[in-house]
Amino acid sequence: MDPTNLQTVGLLIDILAAAILVTAFLVVSSRSLVFYIRLFALQSFFLGAVALLVVLGYGETHILIAAVLTIAIKAIAIPVVLSRVIERIHVRKEVDFSINIPASLLLCGGMVILADSVAHSILGAQRADAPAVSRVLSVSIAMMLIGLFIMTTRKKAITQIVGLLTMENGVFLSGLSITYGMPLIVEVGIFFDILVAVLILGVFIFRINKTFESISIDSLRGLRE
Amino acid sequence: MSAILFALLLGLPVTGTLLCAVFHTRRVLETITVICAGLTFLSALWLVTTVTQSGALNPGQGWLYADGLSAYVAAIVTGSALVVALYSTGYLRRQVRRRHVDGGQLWLYYLLLNAFLFTMMVVLLSNNLGVLWIGSEATTLATAFLVAFYERESSIEAAWKYVIICSVGIALALFGIILTYFSALHVVPASGNALNWSSLMLVAGGLDPGVLKLAFIFVLVGFGTKAGLAPMHTWKPDAYGEAPAPISALMAAGLVNVALYSLIRFYILVNKAVGGSFAPTLFIIFGLVSMGVAVPFILIQRDFKRLLAYSSVEHVGIIVFALGLGTPLAYFGALLHLLNNAIAKTLLFLTASNVRMAYNSKIMRKVTGAIKVIPVSATFLIAGVFAITGWPPFGVFVSEFAIVSAGFAGGNVVPTVFFIGFIAAIFAGFIYYTSRMVFGEPHPGIKGGDADTLSLLLLGLLLTALLVLGVFVPPPLQQCIETALTVLKG
Amino acid sequence: MSGAPAIVILSLLQLLLLLASAPLISGIIAKTKARFQHRQGAGILQPYFDLAKLLRKEVLVSPVASWVFRSTPYLVFASTLVIALLVPTVVVPVPLDWVGDIITVIYLFALGRFFVALAGLDTGSAFGGLGASREMSIASIIEPAMMLAIFTAAVTAGSTNLSVIVATLSSTPASMLNPAHLLAFSGLFIVTMAETGRVPVDNPDTHLELTMIHEAMILEYSGRYLAFIEWSSQMKLAIFLALLSNMFFPLGMATTLAPWALCVGCAAFFAKVIVLAAIVAVVESTNAKLRLFRVPELLMVAFILSLLALILYFIVGA
Repeated sequence: MDPTNLQTVGLLIDILAAAILVTAFLVVSSRSLVFYIRLFALQSFFLGAVALLVVLGYGETHILIAAVLTIAIKAIAIPVVLSRVIERIHVRKEVDFSINIPASLLLCGGMVILADSVAHSILGAQRADAPAVSRVLSVSIAMMLIGLFIMTTRKKAITQIVGLLTMENGVFLSGLSITYGMPLIVEVGIFFDILVAVLILGVFIFRINKTFESISIDSLRGLRE
Repeated sequence: MSAILFALLLGLPVTGTLLCAVFHTRRVLETITVICAGLTFLSALWLVTTVTQSGALNPGQGWLYADGLSAYVAAIVTGSALVVALYSTGYLRRQVRRRHVDGGQLWLYYLLLNAFLFTMMVVLLSNNLGVLWIGSEATTLATAFLVAFYERESSIEAAWKYVIICSVGIALALFGIILTYFSALHVVPASGNALNWSSLMLVAGGLDPGVLKLAFIFVLVGFGTKAGLAPMHTWKPDAYGEAPAPISALMAAGLVNVALYSLIRFYILVNKAVGGSFAPTLFIIFGLVSMGVAVPFILIQRDFKRLLAYSSVEHVGIIVFALGLGTPLAYFGALLHLLNNAIAKTLLFLTASNVRMAYNSKIMRKVTGAIKVIPVSATFLIAGVFAITGWPPFGVFVSEFAIVSAGFAGGNVVPTVFFIGFIAAIFAGFIYYTSRMVFGEPHPGIKGGDADTLSLLLLGLLLTALLVLGVFVPPPLQQCIETALTVLKG
Repeated sequence: MSGAPAIVILSLLQLLLLLASAPLISGIIAKTKARFQHRQGAGILQPYFDLAKLLRKEVLVSPVASWVFRSTPYLVFASTLVIALLVPTVVVPVPLDWVGDIITVIYLFALGRFFVALAGLDTGSAFGGLGASREMSIASIIEPAMMLAIFTAAVTAGSTNLSVIVATLSSTPASMLNPAHLLAFSGLFIVTMAETGRVPVDNPDTHLELTMIHEAMILEYSGRYLAFIEWSSQMKLAIFLALLSNMFFPLGMATTLAPWALCVGCAAFFAKVIVLAAIVAVVESTNAKLRLFRVPELLMVAFILSLLALILYFIVGA
């Protein structure tokens, strides 16, 4: 591919990466479970688009299937499953926090800075001649941190799943950015695992709801020393 | 030949899973599970002999790979799977009789038990680190419903925490694997092979040490979560406490070793590529922290399954600590301890299940005078406790002694003194609680009733094995460990 | 055309342009909003009539009000006029760009806000004090967000001078799509909505005591005082829209004083501002006003967007 097109691909990837990061922040600033799921779907869609751009820009055709799977599973199937779950259980569809939104946003902003410094140390000397997509590494590490943050500070079972999936998205993006993804079979296996994990956690949410009449993980504190 | 072995080791558990999916009768499910586990165990023994005699299988670029280390761990895992499968038959019959378990649950139990064994074999036999990851995550998923088996409030809570915490951990490990892949992309000729452990070992010297160090930290946290290293161990007491006892046994004896196996693979790679004391120091620290964290929780424990879970945290710590010492003697101790801990934990969890059946409680305060109620199981319990806390003449003593001497010989005096201190404190806790459980007068109204003869015979077999290992290491085992040792030395 | 006379003429033209077009922009937004609510709405020239009417009306001043109350409308109007001289509209470089940079602009706005808040307190009316305290607490979050958004643009250009920022960006059109740039734009857009008292933050159309912020402070004003304050507000909106369009998308701006270039510049300016005004109207029509204690969350989003923009600038590079 000639350099100008490559530059365009690089620019588009940058924009998509920024969009992915913004969706993660919007999740953090959101109060509604429905938004959590929609934003996650949007984020996964952008992620699939990045994968498609990697196919187009760098000729890594084996990513094509991963890109399609990202959109099919993470942007469509999983959000549909999660929406069904919250439709079926009639709970208050508002998120509870242990850290309020402004403070959360500030902390996550700090995490992006931290992620960038980690990414710099990973890329090290290779940064100068690395392809455009490796710049996305900072964003991917930030996503992992934000995913962890969502899991630890938002108190609904669904939000924990979304946090986990945000983390997974970050890991997938990191793979795209520095290694153009993993070998095909590995990618497919990872997608399978994630889908099964979400299904299992979905079943657990039903059971938690049935047993505790709430899906707040605050009710999950029977087991302690 | 290697193709047949791989086909057997992976195919048998898959066949078991598929057959269990089809049949619903209790007797058929039992037979399928026991036969598949038994045949898998025999295949694993065959794998061990093949590997000790003719070196690593499939060392090329394939997806599958087996050397001394994987064969050794596979034998331990399948062995405990066989014991657990046999014990499960009696266990579940009793539970069905008491109406704690219905037909659907029975079916799910055997189905997932086979699937669980399969996922563990995937981890042990994969050459590709990505596939190893997939297998590790799949072990969590296969056991999720087993932890939630009894559908109590507490078991759902435990299962939720288990899946969430382990998935987070394993996601971090995936990032570590991606970083490893990244560090190898420029040095491994065909990029598709850059995730293969055998290819990575060939070019270890050329990997980017900075990236690999970071990768190792993520992998350590990730697989450390699966293995239950402190401070990522918090799911362990909950899951072990709530899962049916045979499943807890297989998790403590099989899953823990599988997770440690994954850690060891990366440990070997990083040691070869980075050298120095980077990875060993981390291992010593995490090992001691795990042992130290277990101490207070063992001393204040009320529930004996959770007590065993914290003991598992301690023993993972011991093994990781020994690996961190890095001398051949320490490696030998660590490998032997994988086996000893697996046997002792299986023995204890299964005995605990007998006690629980008799007393209908797992709260230690409510269990007294077991020696009068269930004399055989009570004897196993007290013997098992002496074994797990490292007393002669049991196997655990030998491996722990090897580790301590390696610690002093290697000049790691202060950590080794801590090591001994923790073991002593844990021994005190164990003896305090179990002596109250075993001796004294039983509360009135305890019906009692010990497990069936087959189960008790199994426990006797495990105890005998521990006694034998305490006296000498049989030559075939010695050979097997030495083959694994050559892998560990890189 | 060059030298002092040219500068004077151009500056006056720019001043007139903003003075004259500001009510029109407010009119367009009001009309669009009306259409969204399926109303006919007042004509887009209505703000001019309102201003003319207010200028003719008698001024009533509370007996407890001091000189602060009386001088505030002029101070606010004057500071807005100075800003209007500094902001790039049709042509770069702005004739008076040596007078002050973007930081001057921010501080002149702050000066105006300060006096309006003081005047709100000065009348002794309960609403004035309420509005002043709300306005200042919101401002304390808006200003950092605005600074960060603007700094992203400034860092890209390596200067805080507005004309330099615009000129640098014009020379590299590709960087207009730079993610850092787009994020800073979104951050500044939210800041604009808050600064000019638009719907998710404040509602310019009502005087509902529970919710009003800006309107509460100026409740006691009447006649020509009110006219100046209203006109300043309309100019503030126009200036923000000009900043948004020209700092981030300086397409079509005149770089020479050739008549043709100036015409294109004028057309481009109006096109961009009208598009932005339409977007403002759409946002206002499709969102409900936030409860007051939720407002900091929205502004925090603006702050974070700007912060992300700045971080992304360093991650991705310009």
